Amino acid sequence: MEISFYHPSVAFLALALLVPFIPKEQWMNKAFRGALALLPPFIALASIMTIEPGMYGAIGYLDQALVLGRVDKLSIVFGQVFAVIAVAGAIYGMHVEDRGHYVCGSLYVAGGFGCVFAGDLLTVFLFWELMSIGSTFLIWQARTKESVGAGFRYFMYHTVGGLFLLAGLLLKFKATGSFAFIGVEPGAAQLYDWLILIGFCVNAAVVPLHAWLPDAYPRASIGGAVYMCAFTTKTAVYVLCRGFAGWEVLAIAGTCMAVFGVLYACIENNARRILSYHIVSQVGYMVAGIGIGTAMTLNGAIAHAYAHILYKGLLFMGTGCLLYAVGTAKLDKLGGLAYRLPWVMVWYMVAALSISGMPLFNGFISKTMTIAGAAEAHHTLLALGMEIAAVGTFISVGIKLPYFAFWGGKRDYVGEIKPIPVNMYVGMALTGLLCIAQGVYPDMLYRYLPFASDYSFNPWTIDKVINSGLLLGFSGLAFYLTRAIITPHAKLNLDFDWFYRLIGRVVMRTLCWPVSKVDDFWTEVYRTAGLRSLIGMGDGTSWFDKKGIDTVVDGSAYTVRNIGRAGAKVQNASLQDYLAYAAVLGLGIFALVWYFG
Amino acid sequence: MSQNGLGELLAKWRDNRKTWKIIFFVVLAVLLVLNVPFVTHHPHFGLDKYPGFFAGFGLVVGLGMVIIMKKIIQPFIARKEDYYGD
Repeated sequence: MEISFYHPSVAFLALALLVPFIPKEQWMNKAFRGALALLPPFIALASIMTIEPGMYGAIGYLDQALVLGRVDKLSIVFGQVFAVIAVAGAIYGMHVEDRGHYVCGSLYVAGGFGCVFAGDLLTVFLFWELMSIGSTFLIWQARTKESVGAGFRYFMYHTVGGLFLLAGLLLKFKATGSFAFIGVEPGAAQLYDWLILIGFCVNAAVVPLHAWLPDAYPRASIGGAVYMCAFTTKTAVYVLCRGFAGWEVLAIAGTCMAVFGVLYACIENNARRILSYHIVSQVGYMVAGIGIGTAMTLNGAIAHAYAHILYKGLLFMGTGCLLYAVGTAKLDKLGGLAYRLPWVMVWYMVAALSISGMPLFNGFISKTMTIAGAAEAHHTLLALGMEIAAVGTFISVGIKLPYFAFWGGKRDYVGEIKPIPVNMYVGMALTGLLCIAQGVYPDMLYRYLPFASDYSFNPWTIDKVINSGLLLGFSGLAFYLTRAIITPHAKLNLDFDWFYRLIGRVVMRTLCWPVSKVDDFWTEVYRTAGLRSLIGMGDGTSWFDKKGIDTVVDGSAYTVRNIGRAGAKVQNASLQDYLAYAAVLGLGIFALVWYFG
Repeated sequence: MSQNGLGELLAKWRDNRKTWKIIFFVVLAVLLVLNVPFVTHHPHFGLDKYPGFFAGFGLVVGLGMVIIMKKIIQPFIARKEDYYGD
């Protein structure tokens, strides 16, 4: 019997199409807007909770059979948490009146679902690029000057990463004759597999390809950042899990990420950048788990991705509230906010204790699984690296950030506080309660883990709880002893993007120099030779023009002028707009080829 | 609980700073003592078969990380906030 699969991306794409055409009065009604924005994530959730595993939705495109719906345990668990965070994100962001937020957010989320359920590499690539475009516009939704530059840099990184992926999958197609997206044995890896791996690693923010993340996320819009911290890196974790499980190089890279992110977060001042470095660190655990590749570490990586999406979304919601209420997320400017925004503090702390792996919160049941899995697989050094990262996580996100934002240590923030909309609190409460529920009742998460393991992991043993308590408690003591040293300063810390910016500058110069020389030369030629002959020709034609043409042409001249005006409006030299037109055109062409092809 | 009510409660707690500090140290001590009978069941790192391993690990790694990063590394890589001009 054919069971149909309702693809979760469809409702999001429909919302993105619909939003620009909703009349203004309806749109300004918050309840209507919120209900509309909540519809696609609920549809997606319902679809994923009821679907039976199988292959659905194969279509012919560019003479290839694309599979849009590969539904198995692995794609279901990722799809499920994507739908959950999409619900929470939609609630958290429903006060936003800017339609762009909904359009870009929906396109982006649709791209994420598309990648997760994609059955072949070409489908992955198409949705991968949709995500890249959607998220770039989510950064620009912040509508600040610094978000413009950050968006372009973000887009450049992801375009380059996408090109690696494209090159890899085309070479793979040439060699094997198919776009099949299946696991690759590390021993049998070809050049194209490495190219695909690099493309995935850019999105997974594997050090040193991570620089886009702490650059762009702190500058994204408040609502947009909640989506972004969930989808881009976790989609990459999903595809790595699907294609590159058991690659030793990922195990090492992941542990390096886990430690690297923590070290940078330790000296960072901007709260949202601290959290961004902790995405690098936390995704490091997942990449390491995938690299080790036993059933337990793979399950650990997936459990950690699930938990991470919830608590990291909540962390960005909490700091987003600070940014919304106070206008900055820089720790040196905040302080003493616990008394004025106590509920923001409470939900932030739920997320902070979750990411730290405190018993009763969901990080405890996922992080310990990954670390124990690494140790079981005799990767003692990697497990040790992850324990080091756990200490740093608690110090930065669990204590430093809330201490300097919500409590004391320095001057309190005394300025005005903009009231926070109720829906933001509801979004936080929902996510926070899920974090606690999973921590208390791990089976709520474990039952969805896809890989059968002969060793059933139980985090709630008395020695594990005491060990976690000791590790976190004495990390807290370390913070207490060094609290004067760790006080954040308003500084920028150089990271790998220094090299990327250097490469960018050098490329620009090498390209611009010959172009400007040619341009100079041409201007000179035109001035001496071209202009004179043109004037002569103009004299000749003006007589003919006056006598004969004017009457005929005037009419069309008006038309041309009007077209010109419209054209001038389009060509306002704003590159973001060009990119938007190109994206719309691209989507249109894609749809046409899909329909007629 | 209302926004103001919770805020006032927290402000009241702040005034009992000393009590909180004592509670913190007592909890640490209790955990250490409990670690003696309930020591790590499956030690992975060798030294973690001894009670108090994770306490020492957390303290040493935490102190080392903060001091090395803030005092030694940051002076080399810190620039003005507008270093890139954005």
